[in-house]
Amino acid sequence: MRTSPLHAAMRYVAIVLAGFIMAAPLLFMVSGSLKSAAEVAAFPPKLLPETPIWQNFVDAWNFLTPQVIGNTFIFSLGIVGLQLLLSLPAAFALAKIPFKWSAAVLGTLIVPMFIPGNLTLIPLFIVTFQLGWLNTYAGLIIPMAAQCAFAILLFRQFFATMPAGLIEAARIDGASWGRVLTSIALPLAKPALATFCSISFLTAWNMYIWPQVIAPNPVNRVINVALAPLAGGENSVISPAVGLAGAVIAMLPVLIVFIVFQKWYLKGIAGTGLE
Amino acid sequence: MSTPILDMPLPRQGEEKKPVPAERPGSRRAKRVDALTAAAFLTPGLLAFAAFVILPAVGGLVLTFFEWDLFGTPQWVGLDNITRLFGDEDMWQALWVTALFVLMGVVPTILIGFVLAVLINTKLPGIAAIRVFFFAPMIASAAVASLIWVNLYSQRGLINQALSWIGIDGPIWLSDLTWARPALVIMMIWGGLPIVIILYMAGLQRVSDDIYAAASLDGASKWRQIWSMTWPNVWGTTILIAVLQVVGFVSGSFEVALIMTDGGPLGSTQSIALYSYKVAFSERDIGYASALSLFQLVLMIVIVILVRMIVRFRKERS
Repeated sequence: MRTSPLHAAMRYVAIVLAGFIMAAPLLFMVSGSLKSAAEVAAFPPKLLPETPIWQNFVDAWNFLTPQVIGNTFIFSLGIVGLQLLLSLPAAFALAKIPFKWSAAVLGTLIVPMFIPGNLTLIPLFIVTFQLGWLNTYAGLIIPMAAQCAFAILLFRQFFATMPAGLIEAARIDGASWGRVLTSIALPLAKPALATFCSISFLTAWNMYIWPQVIAPNPVNRVINVALAPLAGGENSVISPAVGLAGAVIAMLPVLIVFIVFQKWYLKGIAGTGLE
Repeated sequence: MSTPILDMPLPRQGEEKKPVPAERPGSRRAKRVDALTAAAFLTPGLLAFAAFVILPAVGGLVLTFFEWDLFGTPQWVGLDNITRLFGDEDMWQALWVTALFVLMGVVPTILIGFVLAVLINTKLPGIAAIRVFFFAPMIASAAVASLIWVNLYSQRGLINQALSWIGIDGPIWLSDLTWARPALVIMMIWGGLPIVIILYMAGLQRVSDDIYAAASLDGASKWRQIWSMTWPNVWGTTILIAVLQVVGFVSGSFEVALIMTDGGPLGSTQSIALYSYKVAFSERDIGYASALSLFQLVLMIVIVILVRMIVRFRKERS
C-alpha cells in the first residue's frame, strides 16, 4: 500500500512518541542511576544529571556484592545448561526415533504446561525442602530446570521438520542415534538453540519468587532477591539513586542477551501464539 | 493417547520405520535398539518431570486434605480446608482484589497493545531500532520494575510532581487505599504490553494486504479500517492474548504486589495468589494454602471455559 510522505512523517512522530513513553520508566532508571539523591526527585525532571555520579554504581556494586552477581550467573546458566541436557535427547527421541509410546509421552508433557507455575510453587517448595536443598545451588537450579516441557516441545517441533533422508542415510551408514543427534541434528538446530537459550536465560535471570523462597540467605541469593527489599522501602540506608544503579546492573546482562538474540527471541515468543 | 490441545505433527511412524541401521531393515533387533535408545534419551527428562512437575501437582492436590505446618506429621482433615475457604473473609477480599486486577488490567492491555502493534507494524526505514523501545519493558524483572515504579510513585516522585504542575495534589500512591491498586495495574499493563505487541505483530503478518487496498479504494479512513478490518482479522490472536492476560493478572500479579506493597494497604492489593503465598510461607498453614491454590486453578479453568463459550457464541451469531 502506498503512503504519502506526510503520512509517513506523521507515523514516524507517533511511533517515536509512543516508543519514548513505553521506554520512559527505563530511561528514568538509567538517568536516575547517575543522579544525586536530590536530583532523582527534582521537578521539572532533568533528562540528564548535572554531573554523572558514577559513585552510585560503585555503591550499588558493593551493596549487591560480586558473590550475588556470580550466583545469578550460576543460577541462570545452570538452568539453561541443565534444560538443554534434559530436553535435547528427549525431544530428539520424540521427533525421530520410532517407538510405541511417543504420542503418550508427548500428551503427558503437554497437559501440565497449562498450569501456571505459581500454583505449584508451594508443593514444589515442599519437594525441594524435603530433599534438604534449601539454600543450595541444587535447590535453586534443579527444580526449575525440570520445568522443561516447553523446551522439549520446542526442540521436538524443530527436529520433526528436519529431512528424514539425512538421518536415514547416517543410520544406514551405521551411525548410532546418539551420533546422529550430536553430529547431524544439533548443528542444524542452531536457530532453535538460539531461541531457547535466550528465552530460558532471560526467564531464569528475571526470576524472583523461586530464589526468594529457596535461597534467601546472602551466600546463595540472586540479584533480584537482593534488590527487591529496596523497592519495599525496607532498606532506607541505600539511596534511591544507588537502588536504580543496582537495577541497571541487574538489567544489563539480559539487555545484552536480548539485543544480540532479538531475532530468535522474538520468534520464540511469537511462536507461542501460533497454534 | 492423542494430543488434543496442540495440533502439531506427530512423529510419522510409518515413514520412519525405514531408517534402520546396520541391522537388517525392520528386523526385531533394530526395533529393540530404537526402543532402548528412545528410553535412554527420554529417561532423564521424564524423571525430572515426574519429580518436579507431576509429584508437586499431585502433592498440592493431596495436601488440600491435610493440616500441616511443614515440620510435624500431616493430619487428615478431610474437606475442612475447602469449606474454610467459603467462610474466610480474607479469601473473599483477595478474590475481589483479583477480580479488580483482571477487570482493570486485561482490556486496556489488549486495546493499547493492539493499537501499538498496528502502529509499529510498518517497514519504514529505521523502525527496527525504535521497536526495541517497545519490547524493552519485557526484560525488566519484577524487582527491577518495582524499583523503578516505587520511585515514580513516591510522595514527591515524578508522577506527583507532574500532577502538581497541572494543579492536582497526587496521593501517596502505594500507601493509598484507593490508589495503590490502580497504581499496580498501570505498572503491570506497562510490563505486559510488549508480549501483547509481539503476538499481535505475528498475527498481523498473516493478514493479507489486499483487503486494505480494496478498503482504501472505497475511501474508508485509516482509523475505521483498523477497527472494521484489521481487528476482526486478528480475533484469534485476541482470544489467545485474553487468556494469557487473565492468567497473568490472576497469578502473575502477585510478585509486584509482594515486592512493592506486601498486599497492603489493608489488603487492598492482596490477590488470591499473594494470600496463598502468605498463608504458606508466613503462617506455614500448608493445607489451607494448597486449598487456595486449588481454588485459583478452578477459577482460571472456569474463566477459560467462559472465554471459549463467548467465542463460540460470537461465531454462531456471525
